[in-house]
Amino acid sequence: MVQYQTVDKTLSALADPTRRGVLERLGRGGTATVSELAKPAGMSLTGMKKHLRVLEEAGLVATEKVGRTRHCSLGPKRLEDLQAWMDSYRSMLEERFDRLEELLERTKGDSR
Amino acid sequence: MSEQATERKATVTTPAEREIHIERVFDAPRDRVFAAHTDPESIPKWWGPRGTTTIVEEMDAKTGGAWRFAMEDPENGRIVFRGIYREVTPPERIVQTFEWDGMPGYVSVETAEFEDLGDGRTRIVSTSVFHTIEERDGMIESGMERGLNETYSRLEELLAA
Repeated sequence: MVQYQTVDKTLSALADPTRRGVLERLGRGGTATVSELAKPAGMSLTGMKKHLRVLEEAGLVATEKVGRTRHCSLGPKRLEDLQAWMDSYRSMLEERFDRLEELLERTKGDSR
Repeated sequence: MSEQATERKATVTTPAEREIHIERVFDAPRDRVFAAHTDPESIPKWWGPRGTTTIVEEMDAKTGGAWRFAMEDPENGRIVFRGIYREVTPPERIVQTFEWDGMPGYVSVETAEFEDLGDGRTRIVSTSVFHTIEERDGMIESGMERGLNETYSRLEELLAA
């Protein structure tokens, strides 16, 4: 369950095209300010900040306040890290089998 | 197909790094364990992580058929996974591809072997191997060295398409 929360955060953080765009942008350019990210996405600063918070919570983006601006860069958990994706995937598979086991147990003796 | 497999083997130095292998014994006869994988009504009951709702949007559980499952939970919305059944051989074997647009450029091939243990129990041997899209399509040779930029440039192409 604990494991799943991490998976879940990463999955949902990545499920949004705007957020994937942010990661793509940061992957190319190193760091960017919130407004530099908001502008090409056609988004308000508040809207972008919301997305950044989701990415930051998932560890995909790190932000640092310098004076009055917030600088964003890729976080410790890199999207391109196949290993990270495989770890998530493994816990997903394990949980899937846990649930299958429970289902089979529940339906024991059923005709199918 | 076999040519592609050979090619892949040659390019991947440590195959284990790209493979997830899980074995599990279920206390149920093989037919039932297999049916849970091919029956669209069973899938929502176990396929997704706890706390999520799995919606079977498409499921043609035969060789060459497509599948698409949406996973929803109240907090995070909707995530879609999809793939193709490469082989469905009841009640022994299912080979299917697995893709998710949050990890663009990669596809995994899941193989599930169903072993009848002869005592009313069934062992599933599940192997998931991760490939790049190019490897899957057999178009170009591709090594393990996939840096940040390459992954992101592919994401970029995908978003631009």
